[in-house]
Parts: sequence; C-alpha cells; structure tokens
Amino acid sequence: MTSMRPDVSTTRRVAFLFAAALALQVAASRASVDDAHSFALESAEPYVKEGYQVREDYWGGDLGVGEKKAVRQQLFKGNEYWFWMGTEVERAKVSVHIYDADGKLAEQTDSWQKGHFAAAHLVPKSTGSYFVIVAVDSSPEERTHWALVYGFK
Amino acid sequence: MRSFFNLFLAGIWVASVVQAKAADAPRRIDVKRLSKTIEDVVVPLPNEIFGALNKLDSVNWKEFVRTDKGSNFTERPRIALLLGATIADGFIAVQAEDAPSVKEIGQRVVNLAKGIGVGNSIVPHAKAITEAADRRDWNGVRQELDRTQNSVQQAMNEVHDEKLSQLVSLGGWLRGTQVLTSVVDRHFSADGAELLHQPDLLEYFQRKLANMPEFNVPLLGQIRNSLVEVKPLIEAQSPISAASVKKIHQITSRLDERIVTRTP
Repeated sequence: MTSMRPDVSTTRRVAFLFAAALALQVAASRASVDDAHSFALESAEPYVKEGYQVREDYWGGDLGVGEKKAVRQQLFKGNEYWFWMGTEVERAKVSVHIYDADGKLAEQTDSWQKGHFAAAHLVPKSTGSYFVIVAVDSSPEERTHWALVYGFK
Repeated sequence: MRSFFNLFLAGIWVASVVQAKAADAPRRIDVKRLSKTIEDVVVPLPNEIFGALNKLDSVNWKEFVRTDKGSNFTERPRIALLLGATIADGFIAVQAEDAPSVKEIGQRVVNLAKGIGVGNSIVPHAKAITEAADRRDWNGVRQELDRTQNSVQQAMNEVHDEKLSQLVSLGGWLRGTQVLTSVVDRHFSADGAELLHQPDLLEYFQRKLANMPEFNVPLLGQIRNSLVEVKPLIEAQSPISAASVKKIHQITSRLDERIVTRTP
C-alpha cells in the first residue's frame, strides 16, 4: 500500500526550502531598507563638513504612494537640525517635513526635495516635541523602502 | 537677448520649484490624527543637550568628569543602566576635552558591555575612541561614542534584549539630565531650564519601564517612582522654574548615586 503522505525527507526538504525562501525574503527586505539608509546618509554627507553630527540611529520601513509616516522627536532650542530622507528606488519622489507640537509647519525655507532624496532643516524656536512627517509622493513600486537620518550642531 | 530669455526661463523654473515645494507641505496638520502612524522617539544623545547648553552659558565641564570605576554588578539591568550612564560620562569628558578620562571611560564601557555579553561588538569602537582622543579629534570621539552606544544596543536587540537596550538609553538620559540640572541650577536662566521640557521622552521611558515586570531590581522601581515626581515639573505650560530645576536635580542625583553604587 502506498501512502499519500510525503516521506520525512520530502517534508524536511520542503521545510528547508520554505525557511530558505523566508530568510531570503527577510534579507531582501532588510537589504532594501539598508540601501535606503545608504542614500539618506549620502544626502547628509555634505553637511558633516559643515559640522553636523549625524546620529547612528535611524528610522526606516516601506510606504505605499501617498502614505505618510510620522516620527516624534525631542529637539532642543539652541541646536540646528537637518533630517535627511532617501530611498533606493531612483524613480520615486519622497518628501520630509517638520511640524511643531501644535501641528504648525516649522521647517526652514532651505529644506529641499530632489527625486528620491529629501531634507528638512529646523532651527527650533522652543525645546520640545516635533513631528517629522515622511511620505512617498510617487513611485513605480507598490511599496517603497525609505530611511530617515538626522544630524545636529 | 537669447541669454536674457534663458535667464528669464530659469527664473520662472526656480520660482515654480520653490512654489511647488511650498505648496507640497500643508502649513498646518492635525497632530491628533497622527497617533496611529507615529514611530517611537529616538532618545537624544547627552551631547545633543550639552551642545545646546554650551551655547547658552560657558560650562566648566571638567568638574563633571567622572572616571571612578564604580561598582561591579552581576544583575544585567543594573549593568545596562550603568553602561548608559558611563557612555554619558564619555560625552562629558569630551566636552571637557580630557583625553586620559575619555580613554579610561572607553575601557570601562568595554568591560561593562562584556558583563552583558555584547563586548565584542564595541571593541573596534573603543580602539577608535582611544585613537581619536590621542589626536584630540573631539568630533571623532563623539561620533565613536554614538557608534558604541548604537552597536551595544543593536547587539542587544539581535538577541532580543530590547529591554536592556532601553535601560542603556535611560541610564544615559538620567546622567545627562543630572548634569544639565546641575549647570542650570547654578546659573539659572529660562532658556537653560527650557532644555528640560521633554515630556514625551519622559513618557516614553515610563512606558518602557512599565513593561519590565520580569526585572526584579528595586532600583527600577525607584526610577519609576522618581519619574512620576519629575513629570509634573517638566510638563508645565509656563516656563520651568528655578525651584523645579533644583528638585529635578535632587531626584536625578539620587538616582545617579544608586546607579553607580551598590545599593539594594
């Protein structure tokens, strides 16, 4: 009598392949956020020469077109801040803006957006919480990886 | 004429880009509607606060440099808190431009990190700290201290010790706040006191501490209770008073003493 159940070695093989596929998917997703992080750091590079210390910590993830993400950040009056955003999707357009705790646009006018890079500059008028809003405005991808870094001086 | 025309077109293009930029961002948003999409705060580095403080007043950082080795703990939450406070001490030594202390603190950080099993991740940073301190490259030391803290916390997160990682941040924040309040208490200014206006950060730590019932360490309970005392002092809509600064300094000094010494 032949059994319809797969033998142990087949089950193991399928389980192994599934685990490998899952691991590859996780690694690919992580790699893309890492790529986005590299682009965000690339935006920050010129500012390091101006004395900005870029934090090692960063935020990242993926967003659909038109989706936004808010990051709450404690900022101090007396410091100057830049937030840099990047994605590895070169045909995407991303944006970053800073609002104060009351929801009022707080960034300086030299904040900029250039395709898959964007940056927002803030000289806080008061110490407290600010909201950094990141968005993917357009992209050929369904989900677009993004990363945000910040620096201060 | 042609170059004038080109210049005119370029002017229109620049104006349209600037206008598009201005039009892109709404002038006002409803922050209450953001609640579902908000990411957790990144805890500021102590030198982010020290830098702002330095711009307000000349601070004698040398008097805050601390290099004593402190107690040796076996409880991992206590090591994590002390590690955070010690990294903050590193930033203070950098402010004081005290190279021997920076190097000593670098070694202390390595030993503490080894105590919770993440020493290997920061050995290269400790070496870089020593080299940068020898060159008196203070920005380089600051960057390496940030990398050290980041590497320690990443190593902890990788082995699902996120809670210890949060205690590292808390230890650094408490030490930073103790020094900040000490400076502002001595030479009070409204701008200096305003640097304490950090209610969301305090709430963040309260939330994280509330989620650590498995750590049976009395010090964590003391910190939890102390944060309850601090909260109303920094939440005030009106300027933070000299009396509040003094009170916060007393509270954070008491906690710092308990973090660095062997008390139950």
